[in-house]
Amino acid sequence: MRDPRVEKLADLITGYSLGLGEGQAFRIDGEESAIPLVASMYRFALRRGALPYIHVRPAGLEGILVAEGNDEQLGYISESEQQQSEQLDAWATIWSTSNTRAMTRADPERRRHQLAAHYRMVNRRWERISAGELAWCGTLFPTEAHAQDAEMSLAEYEDFVYGACHVRPDDDPIAHWESTSAELAARARQLETVRELRMVGPDTDLRVVVEGRPWLPSDGRHNMPDGEVFTSPVESGTEGDIYFAFPSIFQGREVEDVRLRFSQGRVVQAEASSGEDYLRALIATDEGSSVLGEVAFGLNYEIDRFTRDILFDEKIGGTMHVALGGGFSEAGTQNTSDLHWDLICDLREEGEVYADGALVWKAGAFVTEAAVEHV
Amino acid sequence: MSDPRLGRLADVVVGYSTGVQPGDVVRIDGNRPSTPLIREIYRAAVRAGGHPTAELLIDETAEDLLREGSDAQLDWVPFDVRWNAEHGDVWIAIDAPENTKYLSGIDPARMARRVKGREAYQAQVLERFARGEFRWVLCGYPTEASAQDAGMSLAQFEELVYRAAFLDAEDPVGAWQEFGDRLERIGSLLDAASELRVVGEDTDLTLGVEGRSWIRSNGIANLPDGEVFTGPVETSVEGTIRFSFPAMVRGRSADGVVLRLEAGEVVEATARRGEDFLRHMIGIDDGARRVGEFAFGLNDEVQDYTGSLLLDEKIGGTIHLALGRSIPQTGGENVSALHWDMVCDLRRGGEVYADGELVYRDGAFLNGAG
Repeated sequence: MRDPRVEKLADLITGYSLGLGEGQAFRIDGEESAIPLVASMYRFALRRGALPYIHVRPAGLEGILVAEGNDEQLGYISESEQQQSEQLDAWATIWSTSNTRAMTRADPERRRHQLAAHYRMVNRRWERISAGELAWCGTLFPTEAHAQDAEMSLAEYEDFVYGACHVRPDDDPIAHWESTSAELAARARQLETVRELRMVGPDTDLRVVVEGRPWLPSDGRHNMPDGEVFTSPVESGTEGDIYFAFPSIFQGREVEDVRLRFSQGRVVQAEASSGEDYLRALIATDEGSSVLGEVAFGLNYEIDRFTRDILFDEKIGGTMHVALGGGFSEAGTQNTSDLHWDLICDLREEGEVYADGALVWKAGAFVTEAAVEHV
Repeated sequence: MSDPRLGRLADVVVGYSTGVQPGDVVRIDGNRPSTPLIREIYRAAVRAGGHPTAELLIDETAEDLLREGSDAQLDWVPFDVRWNAEHGDVWIAIDAPENTKYLSGIDPARMARRVKGREAYQAQVLERFARGEFRWVLCGYPTEASAQDAGMSLAQFEELVYRAAFLDAEDPVGAWQEFGDRLERIGSLLDAASELRVVGEDTDLTLGVEGRSWIRSNGIANLPDGEVFTGPVETSVEGTIRFSFPAMVRGRSADGVVLRLEAGEVVEATARRGEDFLRHMIGIDDGARRVGEFAFGLNDEVQDYTGSLLLDEKIGGTIHLALGRSIPQTGGENVSALHWDMVCDLRRGGEVYADGELVYRDGAFLNGAG
């Protein structure tokens, strides 16, 4: 029997997130383990009159390519993929895997080479998404592997995922996301009046300049689940210290207890209790990788725990995250980098955020509406 | 650990059937159960220097499209599929059914519409294949569903498929090349004929084949393989034929099909079961009522009917014909969205005459040609 929550999620993404309509060419990407959601999305897309097709990959092929391909093969950019990036009206990516660490032991140099080609290939896709020409939404289909990373059973993890998306049997997902969208948009407008944010928490006192930068609501159009507001900070303005209590993960590798010190926008000191070499290597990726490309508030309060998956972790209600590396053109960034690494700072227990000196956030939530409006 | 036979099969598919070269863009697709073989073929293609991509096909989406799709949706060919037909170098398609009857409940008219909608795309694949710009192979992968149709266990069916693909041979590629010599002898005999007459139970059919080429099919476009085929002269086919096995196409079948043809056209078509489906399919277009292919099945490793067309049409001692589109290399000119193979067993009392001379009896060529 089909899980009714999967059907609701497929309906929500094809309708609310992507707004599929008559005659729109729509591609659904997923690994083999995502087939139930791929099939549901396909069906809902048909019902909307779109022209859907699927791109379902067997697990394990990337590993074969990285292990056995020559340089030319690792760097190959598919002409068909590029053409599809130009032609499509809508695209869904379903993250789902049977092993989240399948690529962890791959040769790092060869893996970098292969990923670099992949990023070059998807560049054009991102341009069209940013320009609003291509609707895109990324989501996750729960598997044992993701549940294991989150330290839950599959049944518990499914409840968690579908709860965060508001597609449980009694939920009205569209009403929820429409009202969330309005709230986040209002929050973004308020934040656009701020010149400088100061985050204060355990081992954390960081100033980030956001003056003149647009704040963007993440309201379930590009990600499902969603729930954050974010911008790209002024590149030279970041000053002070920040501590990340959650493990920081980049491409399956964890760095624990990351502490960063910023001066004039750049990381000047980086420490970790484990994975410190990896941390420093990532920060040294290129010119832009020691500068913040993003600062954001996580506002999905259904997401109440760390699960080792950035789709959820960056939205944990009551956290803030910053990203080292490339920023968002829509948010006015000047920073470019091959890195974009989200690090999550838990402010739920004793965190405070000040906007131009006024307290706007305490213990994981914006303080009273009146105070926020004052912002 | 994966079945070592899959690695051998992949080596034949990539190294011999499609001959993947460095830089070739290779599309691999197959139904869901074929994942282990896809992985081995992908690996073999990477080792050969190609640029493989792999796609799993999901029956559920195919069913939903046929059940719920509008005409515009049924007719649409996705960008990646179209790109492959227009620009790809190699296409490896794996037939690995999860359920061979999953489309039995679909309106035959909608299936016909879907087939018709893909005509231009299919024709393009075949033309580029005929011109040598594109290499294509359909490879069978044993599944529970096809084992069930064959009335045996999966392990037994795997034995059958891999034996029929010559994987038992020490050097499978060498075995296919050697088999090609036998096909060459039969092909030269048929090249000299202008008219064939097939006689069997409830069957007496004549076909003009003058000026047409007989293709020796030894593991290139199909695997398993083993047939010699041509496209008969479109207006020449006359008489009656009764097919021994259920005629399968796209997840449905018609059983006990009898066709009567006049001047190349089907004038009477009956079936014990699935007659409505048969009528819809041959009503797709004018070409669907004409014979696009005539072939001798020559793989003696396949003896029993299995319900898998890929195997059944190769059974040593059978002939098959296809209603609809001819294969361009044969010189056949029949145009249709349909290509539906139907198999007639000649092993008990069947005869074939070439220009009046008996050349084939009880499923075997005479005078050492086979």
